Parts: sequence; C-alpha cells; structure tokens
Amino acid sequence: MSEAEAVRTLKINILRFDPNDPDDFPHMQTFEIQESAGMTLYIVLNEIREHHDNALMFDFVCRAGICGSCSMLINGRPGLACRTLTSKMDANITLAPLPLFELIKDLSIHTGKWMRGLSERLETWIHEQEQTRDIDMLEERMEPALADEIYELDRCIECGCCVAGCGTIQMRPDFVGAVGLNKIARYHLDPRDKRSEEEYYKLIGDENGVFGCMTLLGCEDVCPKDLPLRSKIAYLRRMMLKVAL
Amino acid sequence: MDVKKIDKTPARLDFLQSISGVVLAVFIMGHILFEASILISNEMMYRVTIMFEGYYFFGETYPGIISFLASAIFIIFILHATLALRKFPASYQQYKTIKEHTKRMKHEDSSLWMIQVITGFMMFFIGSVHLYIMITQPSNIGPYASSYRIVEEFMGPLYFMLLLSVIAHAFIGLYRVALKWGFMEGENTELSRKRFKFLMRHMIVVYIIIGLASLAKYTYIGLTHDFSDGVQYKSETIKIGEHK
Amino acid sequence: MKIVYTDVLIIGGGLAGLRVATGVKRRGHDALILSLVPPKRSHSAAAQGGMQASLANCKMGEGDNEDVHFSDTIKGSDWGADQLVARMFVHCAPKAIRELAAWGVPWSRVHRGDHSAIMNAQKVTISEKNEAHGLITARDFGGTKKWRTCYTSDGTGHSMLYAMDNKAHEEEVEIHERQEAMALIVDNGRCYGVVSRNLMSGELVAYVAKATTIATGGYGRIYSISTNAIICQGTGQALALESGIATLGNMEAVQFHPTAIVPVGILTTEGCRGDGGLLLDKDGYRFMPDYEPEKKELASRDVVSRRMTEHIRKGKGVKSRYGDHLWLDITLLGREHIEKNLREVKEICENFLGIDPAVDWIPVRPTQHYSMGGIRTKYTGESQTLHGLYSCGEAACWDMHGFNRLGGNSVSETVVAGMLVAEYISDFCDTDASSMQIHSSKIENAIKEEKAKLEALLTKKNGEDAYVLRRRMEAIMMEKVGIFRNGKDLQEAVDELESLYKRSKNIEVFRSKSRAANPALVNAYRTQKMLKVALSVAYGALLRQESRGAHSREDFPQRDDANWLKRTITSWPDAEQTLPSVSYEEIPIESMELPPGFRGYGKDLTKHNPATHAREVSVNAIREALEREGASRFEIQSALLPFLDKLPQKYRAKNARLGETL
Repeated sequence: MSEAEAVRTLKINILRFDPNDPDDFPHMQTFEIQESAGMTLYIVLNEIREHHDNALMFDFVCRAGICGSCSMLINGRPGLACRTLTSKMDANITLAPLPLFELIKDLSIHTGKWMRGLSERLETWIHEQEQTRDIDMLEERMEPALADEIYELDRCIECGCCVAGCGTIQMRPDFVGAVGLNKIARYHLDPRDKRSEEEYYKLIGDENGVFGCMTLLGCEDVCPKDLPLRSKIAYLRRMMLKVAL
Repeated sequence: MDVKKIDKTPARLDFLQSISGVVLAVFIMGHILFEASILISNEMMYRVTIMFEGYYFFGETYPGIISFLASAIFIIFILHATLALRKFPASYQQYKTIKEHTKRMKHEDSSLWMIQVITGFMMFFIGSVHLYIMITQPSNIGPYASSYRIVEEFMGPLYFMLLLSVIAHAFIGLYRVALKWGFMEGENTELSRKRFKFLMRHMIVVYIIIGLASLAKYTYIGLTHDFSDGVQYKSETIKIGEHK
Repeated sequence: MKIVYTDVLIIGGGLAGLRVATGVKRRGHDALILSLVPPKRSHSAAAQGGMQASLANCKMGEGDNEDVHFSDTIKGSDWGADQLVARMFVHCAPKAIRELAAWGVPWSRVHRGDHSAIMNAQKVTISEKNEAHGLITARDFGGTKKWRTCYTSDGTGHSMLYAMDNKAHEEEVEIHERQEAMALIVDNGRCYGVVSRNLMSGELVAYVAKATTIATGGYGRIYSISTNAIICQGTGQALALESGIATLGNMEAVQFHPTAIVPVGILTTEGCRGDGGLLLDKDGYRFMPDYEPEKKELASRDVVSRRMTEHIRKGKGVKSRYGDHLWLDITLLGREHIEKNLREVKEICENFLGIDPAVDWIPVRPTQHYSMGGIRTKYTGESQTLHGLYSCGEAACWDMHGFNRLGGNSVSETVVAGMLVAEYISDFCDTDASSMQIHSSKIENAIKEEKAKLEALLTKKNGEDAYVLRRRMEAIMMEKVGIFRNGKDLQEAVDELESLYKRSKNIEVFRSKSRAANPALVNAYRTQKMLKVALSVAYGALLRQESRGAHSREDFPQRDDANWLKRTITSWPDAEQTLPSVSYEEIPIESMELPPGFRGYGKDLTKHNPATHAREVSVNAIREALEREGASRFEIQSALLPFLDKLPQKYRAKNARLGETL
C-alpha cells in the first residue's frame, strides 16, 4: 500500500442517551475506527458495537437502502446510514438520532409509531366504493404510464428523513410533512381510490396540511429515494386551492 | 365523513399570501428601476416622477396619485405581512428550534427562509416608515427632494437597509412562490428549480447594484446641491405653472 | 404480570403475517401482530423482481395457466415439494395478485403494440395484444416456461408490503412493534401464544391467543454473507424447535442466489437476467451457455449458483480482495430500461459499489438467499405436531418449494399462504375446540422462566462472548454448509457447531447490563437460538446422502428417489440434548400428479424409485382416457390430484384469463 492510500482513522462522534437510565444524560462519545475499503456507516457502527461498546443502540434491517430503518443525522443532515460510504466523507463524522421522533436509545428512534399515526390520520389506503371486487375475474385495467407514475410515489420508504429535514415541522409538530403529502398525492393519483376532492381537502386542506408547507425544500433535498416531493406538494396545493375557490 | 362542510379559509389565505407577495415584488422591481432613472439624469428622474403624478395624462401633476398608490401598496403590504405572520416563529422556543435546525442542516433553501423571516421583520418597521412618508408627503419626490430627504433628513441609512432587505425578500419570495405552486416547473423539476435559483441570485445582485448606485447618486446630490432655493427641481423644458 | 389476550396472535409483520392478520380480522376475529420492527421495514420489502401468478396477459405469457406454473414449481423443487400444496398455491396465486391490485399495488401493466426486449443477448421485438392493454404484465424469471413474474419495476416486495400494511391499518389490525417473541406458551400439547419481550423497555408480556402464527421469515443470517435482512435470524424456527413439540422440515434446503454484489451481499434481482442480463467471467466470456445450453442464465437458481461456483473453481473468476467473483452485465439493456425497470439495482450499484450499471459490469457471486426449510405444517398451515401453532411464508415448510424455490414464488407464497391460512385459522377459531383452557399460573410461569433466562445471561460470570460464538457459527455455515457440500466438511461443521452450542449455554452479556433496550442482551439470546437452527441445517445436510435441488453433495451427486424422496423432520424434544432429533416423512409417489422425472439440467443422474414408473403409467393412462372423452384440463387435473375440496370455499372458483373461456 502506497503512502497516498494510507488507512484513515475515522473519528466517529455519536450523540448518546438512554432514556431508560435515570442517571444518563445526552452526551457525545467518540470512537476511533480504522477505515476499510467500501466501508459504510453500517459497517462502522457494527464494528463499534462488536469491538468497542456493545451497548450502542442503532437500527438496521435491510442494510441495503430499501427499508428505511437506519435514518439518522449524519454530520447534521438526515440520511440513511447503511448506504453512506465513509470514503466520501471527512474522517471526522458526527452521528445523532433524528430529531422529532421518540428516542429509544442512542441512534435508535421510534419512526414506526409516528408513521403509523400518520397513516391512520390520512387514511393511507385505497378507499373503494364497493368493497368486493371479484378476484376470480380479470383485474381492473390501468394505463401503464399511470401505474408507473403511482409507483414513482409509492417508492417512499418512510425513513423519516424528510420529516427531520423539514423546517416547518420543527416549529409545528402537527404538520403532516412531505411523507404525508406524498402519500396523499399517491392516492389522489390512483383511480382505485374513490375519495372525492372534498374528502382530500378535509385531510390536508389546512395549516397542518399542504397550506402549512413553507417550501423550504429540506424534504426533497434529503430524500434518499429522490422522490419528486416539491412537485407533488405543488400539485396538491393547486388541487386543493381549486376545491376552495 | 361529512363532505359538505370544508373550511376554505386556509387555501384562500395561502393563495392571498402568495399573490400579495407577487404584487409587492413586481411593484418593487418597477420601483427600483424607476428611481434609478436618477442615474441617467436629474431631468429623467423628474419626468418619471411627474409621470406618476399624472402629468402626461392630465397636463397637470397631482401628487395625490402618489398618495393613493402608496396607500394601496401599504394596504397590500399590511395584508401580506399579516398573512406571513402565520408562518413566523410564534415563540422564542420555536425560533430557537428553527434556527438550530437551519444551522445543523446547512441547507440553502432553509437558510433563505430565515433570511426572509429576518428581512420581513425588518420591513415591518422600515417599510412602514417609508410608506407613511410617501403617503403623507407625496410631493417631496424628485431629484432634489429625495436627495434632501436622504441626506438632510438622515433617511439614507434607513433606505440602505430597506433596499437590501426588500430586494432579498422579494426575489427569494418570488423563487419560493414559483416552487410552491409549481410555476413553470416543466418535465425536469430539478432543472427548473436550478434555473429559478440562478435567476433569483442574479436578480438580487443586479438589483442591489442598481439600488446602491441610485442611492449613491441621491446621496451625492444631497451632499453637493444647494438647497437654499428649496427642494423642488426646476425643469428646463417642462414648466408646470400651478404646481405648488 | 402483564397478559394480553387476543384471538389470533401473529409473530412477524411481513407480507405473510400481515395477510393472515387481515384475513382473520375480516372473518371477525381479533388479530394482533408482534413485530421486531415496524411492519413496513420487514424483509418482504427487499423482494425486488416480482411475484409469480399465471395471468397470461403479456405476449410471452400467453398460454400460461395453473398447470404450467405447477409443473415449473415441482420441477424447480426437484420433486421435493408437496404437490397438493403446490396445486393449491398455483390455483390461488392469480386471485392473490388480483386482490393486491385492488388493494393498491401499482403493478406494471401491458402496453399495446411493439416493444423491444433482450432475449439471449439479441434484441427482439414483442407485440402486445390490444385487448391485453392495461392488464398486469410479467417478466421472465429463471426456471419458468412462460413470462409469469408480475412486478412493479424492481420494488415489487416494497409495493406489496406497503399495500398490505395499509390494508391492515384499514382493518384496524393491532400491531405491537419492537416486540420479540421469546418462547411459545405450551400446555397440554397446545400452543397458547408467546412470552414476548419489549425491545424498548425490556418488559416481558404474555400474549395469549387461541391460535398463534409464526411468520418470521427465514434463517439466512446463520450464514456470514446473506442477502437477507439482518433480522432474518431464524428465531421463529427456534421458537418452534424450543417448544419441544413442533417440528421443522427440510432445514438443509438453503438457496443461494446467483447474483448478490461483492462484498456486501446485497441482492440484485433475478429480473436483471430475466430482462436479458448476462453472466460473464474474468475474460468477459459468457459461460452459462456452455453449461446449460437451453436455459443459460435463466436456469433455476440452484443450478446457476452451482455453475457459477464451478466456473470460479476452474480459475475463471475475477480476483478481488474479497475473493473471486463473476460479472453481471446489464449494460446491453440500455439506460432507459435500467432506470425504469431496474431502479433499485441502479441505486444499489451507485451507493454500494460506486458504479453505473448502464456502463459498468456488476461484481456478483452466489450468496445465501432463501430458506426453503422451516416450521413443518399441514396444508392448513398448522404445525403437524403442535396444536394451535400455525406458520406460513418463508418461516414455514408448507412445502411448495421442496429443495429449490423458483424466483418470484416467494412473495407469491407469502400472500397466497397468508390468505389460505387465515381462513383455516378462522375456521378453527369458529369452533368450540378453539376455546382456551390454560391456567393463568402456567402463563405466569412461562414469563418467570424467560425472566430467569435473561437474568442468567446478565449476571453470569466468566462466560462466553456471544459475538465470538456467532461469528464462528456464521463462518462454519459459509465454509462447510454452503453451495457444494461433502460428508467430511459437514461432519466437522456439525461437531464444531455442537461444541459452540454447548458453549452458548454459558454466554455472558459483558458490560452492557441494562434490562431495557440492550443490543448486547438481544445478541446473546439470539445467538443461542441461532445455533440450534444452524445445527438443524448442518445436521440435516450431513444425514441427507443425495443431491436434490439446492442441497448438493459432492460425495453423493445423484438425486436418490429410491432412498431420499422424503422430508427431513427436525425437532428438539429434550432441552438438554445438544443435537436435534431427526426423522423423515415420506413423499408418496402414488399420489403425485407429476411423477419424479428429469429437471433438464446437466446430466440426468437420478436414481429412480421403483414406484415412479408405476405412477407414470397410471398418470398417462388416466390422462389419455380422459382426453379421449374430451375432458377439460381441469377434469384431468382433478382426476390426478384432487385439491379443490381442501381449499376454503371462497377460493375454489376458476381463474378468468384473456385467452381462456371458462
């Protein structure tokens, strides 16, 4: 190995706190790790847990950027840890749990609870008029381009990055966030969902919904799936204004 | 779900905020260009002034028109400010949270919003003072009158601050409104956003240069002109008999 | 002590678990899901390529039906599957996919007119029928005669899981997240629920139910490199095993997926090859046609994985610091196709390899991917030995996959099995027999027992480090119980795993002593459970002296129907034993619709069972006689292997297709 490729020592600063421990308080802790080729924060954190501190808590499931479990603040910005390559970063890396979500411990947060609340609030499922489609018969047809368009929005992985990156929700925790608005845009687009414009308006036609969005665009810029959040929020804003005019 | 009754107010407020902002921004864009006529000549600035006083329509000048226009702008200004207040941090705690968030994120568009909050807040005061003067003293506009106000009445520093905040606020606002409603977003939304941002940045620079240059010119006139004859400009070519 | 009562308890919130919960809820029973993670984060989301269902909508799927799907599935299983179950499955797959379409999955659709595709490295034009426009389309997958794998780009599992979870929300299924089932509550030969640990607070809660369903997925993480999510640790299988009563089936049947990226083992979908991608060696040479001239890259997964390994062993692999690998080339599909239909693959390549798959070749090698084995059940999903315990999805050995699963049949199984098992469970809950007769002291004792085990782990002195044991186990499984197996290695594996298992009884949780959220504690007890599962896999593999499907023995290269046409049944009746008990369940040839034959890969080494010929003769006789009478395919099928009476009434109707008038 040449001089130029000398192995870096990464300084990983982690914001730690165990809410279950009455004596604990939020504090930064620094670990030093030898970098290896192709290293991601998934590998880094597991190495810390296995060799430095087995109490360190964090969440990974798919470790492939698909499930949305490992979102955290990476140098202040929300992102998926599993697909963050250390080689693209400075040797000094700071990790903290996403704000706004209930903290479980260290980097582990309760996004599932938040997302479930959102789903119940916005009723993010297909509202059919008649419940019984005969599943023995041919499926309902759909324009191929429309199916693709719905899938585009269906790709959200509920990682919470857009929520943590949203300035609006920092001040107004009841704001639905880009994740919620994207879901509404998805169902609004879907001909299988029979909800009327007025019903949609009731869900998001207020300051906690689409009219609360201040277009700071943190959501779109941190979304790991590159969802067209801005464009869809704008679309909803126009649609909802039309309802109200 | 009761679908009959929906509260249409939030949608309307949001739209009004955007549209009032756009009106104000367009006004400011014109305002600064018109007042920059001083850079061409005193005569040019004078002609622009009397144009707004109705000279080219009525053959006479009516400063009341300025009063009227300024009042209209003042009303839109207050409306816009009131609507925008909904989005302001409502407590110090909220302000702190959003400030920390912006600092942590190092995210341009979030920071731009903070600039808008601060400039908006500044304009509550400076803008109001400026508009109030325009409403109450509409005839004191002109190459000398304006210069006098800037130098002798110490409005210079105030205008300087007003200039910076109004231009930043207006163009950032226009950029945001375009993105907010999906104006001309096209197929490639990333590209259109980039273009809007490019436009915003350059317009801010261009307008600040024009505005500062005009301010410098007025200041120069204010410092060098002899005001012992009063502040009214006497045109060589246009004589307005009854005026004042 | 906290005790929660419900009708149907489901362990695992993936596709199978959610479908069961939704099904029983719709039948009017309470359903409660315990999940390690929010259900939308389950491993089902990682299924990329698609779901098999014989809809026959697209041009290349024309002529497809249940019979073709059935025959592909059985051949793929190397005749290890339960043909009755496979029949039930292929019959219900079109229903399941149509149901999901109604629930919101944005399946990719057929577009009328011409479109181009890559087949066998050639660009071809396919013309879709006008009347198929807007129906669900399909892509090609390995081991299938027709294009049958329906998809939403390459995020199929994600879309299915989200639609399914949203449906569960709509049905108000109760979901308790970050709950880990620690032990089954068993009394008098019946399962009454589980003791569960809250992974956030550490609280132990008894969930008591009339029926308990394990839908926890596979056990891929007993291997050091796996495409599986890190929660696929086989804890569901361990739960069943530790009951001492429930049994596991075919644990040695472990599938290796041909194309996971090197080194991290993240999957790139079979859709890459289905859509026309090629496998290349270090010289850029396309080697698969040399081994499998007919199916080439699209041979069954077990076959492709073995051929790749053979080719690497010949020195044709690309050397890398992480070992040898081969190339997957999808550049010929074109950027537009990749960005539309293989987006996840593209993202994975960009984020984990730093390459652009539209320009660069992808480094791949076969990697542990799927567990055909699991909790052995009847066709109803109920354990054959423990009453009240059900299982479905990858967690189960319902046995439609036998010794090798076809790509696209896994997510399909989850929703089909979930849909059927929900009905059987509901039927059970509708009867008086389902009423619970367990003394509350038994429940409390179960909690106390688990509490004591956890305390022991936390307070033990001079114990073993769970990480050391676990890493060793993973390495053994990888090296000695991998794609190619042999008696010597397997014996060593079993011996060493057994000693690791003994050591695991002495695990100590060092330093991190919290009773609440504590990853070290979690790792400690899971390692103990995983070792039991690993032992079941290795021991089953050692005993099975033949090669069948994914189980490939270098010392016994032939498939031996004469002696080994049977399922491995594993149990752990005595907590003190250090090796599982193994018995066998015959797979009766007499009732097979498709008698054992040659799969069509490589040389036919099969050692046939004498009964095979007899069954072939009788199947042919029945078929010919009925064909002479002009009987329909349904009548012929029914004469060979009647299955409709086993299905819930509401799923018995025939499936409509474009080309087929019913």
